[in-house]
Amino acid sequence: MTKRQGRLFFIVCTFLSAAVFIGLTIDTHTRFAELTNEEKLTPAVISGKDIWHANNCINCHTLLGEGAYYAPDLTKITQQRGTPYLTAFLKDPSQFYSEEQHRRLMPNPNLKDAEISDVIAFLDWVSHIDNQGWPPRPIIVSGTTIPDTDIGQPAIQASVSSDPVARGEALFRSAPPACNACHSVAPGANLAGPTLAGIGARAAAIIASPDYRGSAKTPADYIRESITHPSAYLVPGPMYSANKQSFMPDNFATDLDTEQIDSLVAYMETLK
Amino acid sequence: MRYRSQSIAYWYFAVAMCLFGLQLVFGLLSATKYLGPDPLLDFLPFDKTKAIHTNLLIVWVLTGFMGATYYVVPEESRSEIYSVKLAYAQLVTWTLMGVTAIVGYMFGWTAGNKMLEQPFPLKIVIVVVMLMFLYNILMTIKQAGRWTVTEGVLVAGLVLAALLYLPALLEYDNYTVSIFYRWWTIHLWVEGVWEMIQGGLLAYLLIRLSGADREVMEKWLYVIVGLVFLAGILGTAHHYYWVGVPQYWLPIGGFFSALEPLALLGMAMYAYFAMRRSGLSHPNSLAVHWTIGSAVFTVFGAGLLGFAHTWPSVNKWTHGTLVTAMHGHGAFYGAYAMIVMAIITYALPNLTVNRKVEGSSVGYWAFWMQVMGMFGMTLSFGTAGIGQVYLERILGLGYLDTQLKLQVHFLMLLATASVFAVGAGLFIWNFFRTPPKLAADVLVAPQHRIIPGMDDGGLVNQKQ
Ligand code: HEC
Ligand code: HEC
Ligand code: HEM
Ligand SMILES: [Fe+2]
Repeated sequence: MTKRQGRLFFIVCTFLSAAVFIGLTIDTHTRFAELTNEEKLTPAVISGKDIWHANNCINCHTLLGEGAYYAPDLTKITQQRGTPYLTAFLKDPSQFYSEEQHRRLMPNPNLKDAEISDVIAFLDWVSHIDNQGWPPRPIIVSGTTIPDTDIGQPAIQASVSSDPVARGEALFRSAPPACNACHSVAPGANLAGPTLAGIGARAAAIIASPDYRGSAKTPADYIRESITHPSAYLVPGPMYSANKQSFMPDNFATDLDTEQIDSLVAYMETLK
Repeated sequence: MRYRSQSIAYWYFAVAMCLFGLQLVFGLLSATKYLGPDPLLDFLPFDKTKAIHTNLLIVWVLTGFMGATYYVVPEESRSEIYSVKLAYAQLVTWTLMGVTAIVGYMFGWTAGNKMLEQPFPLKIVIVVVMLMFLYNILMTIKQAGRWTVTEGVLVAGLVLAALLYLPALLEYDNYTVSIFYRWWTIHLWVEGVWEMIQGGLLAYLLIRLSGADREVMEKWLYVIVGLVFLAGILGTAHHYYWVGVPQYWLPIGGFFSALEPLALLGMAMYAYFAMRRSGLSHPNSLAVHWTIGSAVFTVFGAGLLGFAHTWPSVNKWTHGTLVTAMHGHGAFYGAYAMIVMAIITYALPNLTVNRKVEGSSVGYWAFWMQVMGMFGMTLSFGTAGIGQVYLERILGLGYLDTQLKLQVHFLMLLATASVFAVGAGLFIWNFFRTPPKLAADVLVAPQHRIIPGMDDGGLVNQKQ
């Protein structure tokens, strides 16, 4: 091979690759709108994106898996946490997590209310981008591994089992949002929501207490009501609710059918 | 030094060394925050220290590239730099830009886009500085009326690097589109045109250090850069896997980026065979260490560790974990930090007074402590990353609880990073130990002139 041939090789490789790359880029541009739901790019979403940039969130978090590795991925966060929860969290993260426990804490971003709602709108838009189904299974912010939890066990396929408890357990991990993103089933391990260990016994006590204003008569009713109308009874604690509104998402009554809710209730009654 | 204006390079290298030191301070600070708790949470939280850390890296490496170019171009084109004043003005503007950016980040002045955090006015300053630089270099070559392939590849790499910065000036409403074009800058830099710069510098050093035949070296340089582009341009797709673009980028990214290590392996073999064929007779064997070290560490950090997570079915699990940090460190260090330190080590005996060509034992300590330290750091990030993938991504343990289980890896990271920092500290100290030659000291002696027809840069000229 001579130097001239070497040069020719260089030129051909470069131009061919660049031509293909630019061709694919042009094609990709015709697909962005559909893949990213561009019609939903409202002014609030765009302003949320600017707030995301201005506050350097990307240098702690990843979004679509890109960014820094000091804080959890937020790609699907709005599908795990409802707006009331995220609003309260962004107002003051130290109400929700403690540096003693996890050795790190998100500093208060000091956002105005409107900015918070825009940044949530942005995160919600991101969570609906068609991105080849990534992450392959949910990434959750916190959740402890303690003996007797389900960590490490293969997920039970809801479709193959007819046992309501097994179906309920599978739903618990996939709802969406997955209940286990907020609830553990280990005694004492409270995450974004209270632990559900021993919920049956606790429910009986709650119904009997004078503070209870809901309509449940049995523990099973109470659990069902907690899923379909989270704000009917509020577990005390500033991290669980604000202004009489529970931080638990209220989409389950519409997104799950009666049979699914029954399975969840059946599963939860087994938690000791 | 054959040309007075080559002494410009000293000041670029000096600035690069200061920024390198500062980069490590912020790196160590960031690593301690992984361990937590963070007493500086309200004043200097992780996002700030990390942005400063990566920005300093990019700025010092680019400063090194520019210094290297001011050193190489006069020799290759056999001419003084077109305007020494412009070169210094450029350095001052560039340094001020860098310092402003860092102070700005501390106070929250940021564009908040990973590695392209520079606020818009500073981005404009960067473009202006690049234009000053390229004008000066291209005018030098034009004035000399002579250029070599080695320098051509180096300068073309720098021109393209400047061009590829331009997409970063634009803003997009659609976050996916902004990710798409961010990689035109970042990926096409590090896996395209910067490798071209590395290749050019490598060829220059190999020709000088081994006396290898220029015709042969430059022929293979073309081939290697051709391979880099063949794999690297379409390899951009390995950043398009999960960000909201069409499915076809997955197989394209997998296939072409899997070819990239071959190009890098080619580069290492290129260095190795040049040395073997022509012997290691150059007295500056410390520079030989850095040169070969850079080629070999690139295969490890970029090639092997990049390959480890570039296949879509693997990347699906590793994406967005500390596995990426493992690779980023090994790759940037091997390919770009080491090549800059190679050219500095090669040039320093010429640029400063009273320095032995063969280097001192401090120089070797600096080399080995850095290489071992960085190797340990990639292991620490790698083991942490694998732990994270397993616990968080596969088992479904919470992010925060997983991080708590990785504490031992973070301790390991801090320990190996400290070894690295001592090595880097020695390198910097060694750099500043002897004063620079003043322009008046520079003897452009007749015997240093090149005999026409004889290829320049042979051992004959170097050994005197
Ligand atoms: C200094 C690093 C840092 C920065 C900057 C940062 N975060 Fe966080 N963030 C964290 C950490 C750490 C957590 C995990 C919870 C905790 O420990 O506070 C977190 C958690 C979150 C959560 C999940 C909370 C939950 O319980 O589900 C959201 C949402 C969030 N951050 C949004 C943001 C947004 C929006 C920004 C930018 C305005 C931002 N973060 C900037 C560190 C950071
Ligand atoms: C975004 C976090 C979140 C998700 C997701 C979530 N919850 Fe909750 N959940 C909460 C919070 C916060 C509370 C406590 C406030 C309240 O009483 O509503 C709660 C309360 C409950 C209670 C009552 C607990 C008690 O001690 O009285 C039950 C039962 C419950 N959730 C079940 C579920 C089930 C089943 C799912 C999945 C289908 C689910 N949750 C998903 C946050 C969440
Ligand atoms: C010298 C060359 C290289 C350098 C300096 C380098 C550097 C980096 C850096 C800094 C990142 C993180 C970027 C970010 O998230 O913003 C990265 C990501 C990545 N690199 Fe490289 N790299 C190099 C070569 C390679 C090669 C040859 C391969 C493949 C064989 C590769 C594969 C990857 C992949 C797959 C990612 C994305 C990881 C993810 O986000 O999932 N890199 N690289
Ligand atoms: Fe890349």
